[in-house]
Amino acid sequence: MKRSLGGLWDTWGITAILLLLLAVAPVLTPDFFSLDNAQSVLRESAYLGIVAAGMTFAIASGAFDLSVGGQLALCSVVSLMGFAAGGTVLAVAAALATGLACGLVNASLITRLAVPPFVATLGTLFVFRGVAYILTKDGPKTLPYDQIGSPFVKIGGLNVAGLPVPFLIMLAVYAAAWLLMRRTATGRRVLAYGSSPEAARFCGISPTRLRVFVFALVGVSVGIAALTYITRVWTADGSAQDGFELKVIAAVVLGGTSLKGGKGTLIGTFSAVLLVSVLNDMLVSEGVPSAYQRIVLGGVLIIALTIDGLRTRFAAPGSLRRAVTGLGGRTPKTGLAR
Amino acid sequence: MFRKGLLPLAVVGALVMAGCSDSNSPSDTPSKSGKVVVGFSVYDMQYEFFQKMEKGTREAAVAKGWEFKLHDEKSDENEMVTGAQALIDQGVDVLIISPFKPSALGPIIAKAKAKGVPVIVDDIGGGGAPYDAIVISDNAGGGKLAADYMAKQIVANGKTSKNVASITCEPSAVYAARRNAGFKEAIEKQGFKVVAELSGNSKAEEGYKVMKDIMAKNPDVAGVFSCNDPMGVAAANAVKDAGKNPVTDIVTVGFNADPEALTAIKAGGLAATVAQDPNAMGALTVKLADQALKKETITFGNAAEREVFNPVLLVTKDNVATIK
Repeated sequence: MKRSLGGLWDTWGITAILLLLLAVAPVLTPDFFSLDNAQSVLRESAYLGIVAAGMTFAIASGAFDLSVGGQLALCSVVSLMGFAAGGTVLAVAAALATGLACGLVNASLITRLAVPPFVATLGTLFVFRGVAYILTKDGPKTLPYDQIGSPFVKIGGLNVAGLPVPFLIMLAVYAAAWLLMRRTATGRRVLAYGSSPEAARFCGISPTRLRVFVFALVGVSVGIAALTYITRVWTADGSAQDGFELKVIAAVVLGGTSLKGGKGTLIGTFSAVLLVSVLNDMLVSEGVPSAYQRIVLGGVLIIALTIDGLRTRFAAPGSLRRAVTGLGGRTPKTGLAR
Repeated sequence: MFRKGLLPLAVVGALVMAGCSDSNSPSDTPSKSGKVVVGFSVYDMQYEFFQKMEKGTREAAVAKGWEFKLHDEKSDENEMVTGAQALIDQGVDVLIISPFKPSALGPIIAKAKAKGVPVIVDDIGGGGAPYDAIVISDNAGGGKLAADYMAKQIVANGKTSKNVASITCEPSAVYAARRNAGFKEAIEKQGFKVVAELSGNSKAEEGYKVMKDIMAKNPDVAGVFSCNDPMGVAAANAVKDAGKNPVTDIVTVGFNADPEALTAIKAGGLAATVAQDPNAMGALTVKLADQALKKETITFGNAAEREVFNPVLLVTKDNVATIK
């Protein structure tokens, strides 16, 4: 398999930037690599990272799921209610079932009522949040302090071999997602459909089944993420993680997954999530005012995509000549790019 | 193909191994210099109230010769937990926190307890967690100040009616409810009767509507107390729209000393409000932090909830110019 420099950048570019940042981090923030801080960064990455894995599939299939913020709030609230009613087992089951149910609601709207994914999930974003608000109208749902010894509460704070449990869950999710995308027919179908829905249909891929699969997958990923989220924060209501969907999409795009679909890189997403967490941690511990923190994170996203855009223009065969002579030219889209 | 998975693993490995190499310097021992380090996690520095609280906390800490570390929760419970736990990781000796979500104090205090760091909560609420102390404004005392002023002003207005009204915040705001309770107790001692106690859910537009209803059902109402200023100013507007004066006809009192209330008081559009003093609250948390560090006994206003009350101040036309 021939590999161009551009192809390498697609998958590893953001990882390279992450390594660069990690190399300078101790200079800028002396206690960055303290055990506590490193664990905190990894623990903090988990809920964003897990949903970003699911979202990578959605975007690679050519669709957004804008409802993940509402899903996270609802999964968290229902899971906390489950814990109050039946302890750890019910809390875990409630989060996963709620995530799956949210995903199936999205899929039904998209496949049965033919609402475009963008609009359908924009609508359910408000609906899911609204339901979470109704469930918490008497105050946020909470893990009570006297349950501190319960296995559920421990998920968020525990370390195994120095690694926070939420991060180990995230690693497992990425391993499974990578196998699913790269080693199964389903994964190839998702990419093929994202690359060209028409061509995929001619090849016998059922758009309905594919949509149901992708949105259910996102929902389940949110359910898993909610477990790592609430066991760390201990509380949730309808307002939990406002704006979450955009953070997730930003991480996926930063990682190198194309918004046009057909191309998804889980390695890129994984590195992008860590990059955002590391950057965030450095900005906070350097005491950068919050307004500037937002600007830096936005700037990183824009710069990364600008580099990607330039790279795409120059890496395509003959593109240098076209760029120089100003003749322009479209980059052929590669359906099964890594 | 194995190569694909290696680099992220290397990244993780780097994070972890670098971490381990540093782990022999535990952060729970007091700082090397012997200087006390205090961490303050603030609700949101966008708001003037919390800017004043931060100033009061910082100045009191610096006056004690302490090192001061600030974290801004940015009105986000996730940031609150992450940042406050980071302060503990950085080895602060004591943590002061004005929590965006009191219900998210649990994981923070669990971590603080594990490292032997005392936690002083500033305002908002304690969320049932085992903090060392919580500073809140003397809400009941503020309600009493409002009642005593109102009783005097009604007499000065030459009114004979003994009927007054009380507008409450949303039922979940437990500390705010103490304002109306304190008001009711004090005004009834003066021989008045609270003929209506209704919720305006802390909102101006609902406060306006509630006040209109109160005046329609009780035309002789001589005073009204609102649990916050948006509702207080709105109630005053309802009084004015009914052709009456919110100082000399129906004595209208708010709570919080918001800028809009102070402006209204100067213009005679509101009788009084009650000022909280976030700056002094901040200074009080530092005093309590010092006591907690020295393991001294803290004197609580309400020992059951480990509450310490900070005094409030009545603001009328006479002293409004001196506020801020």
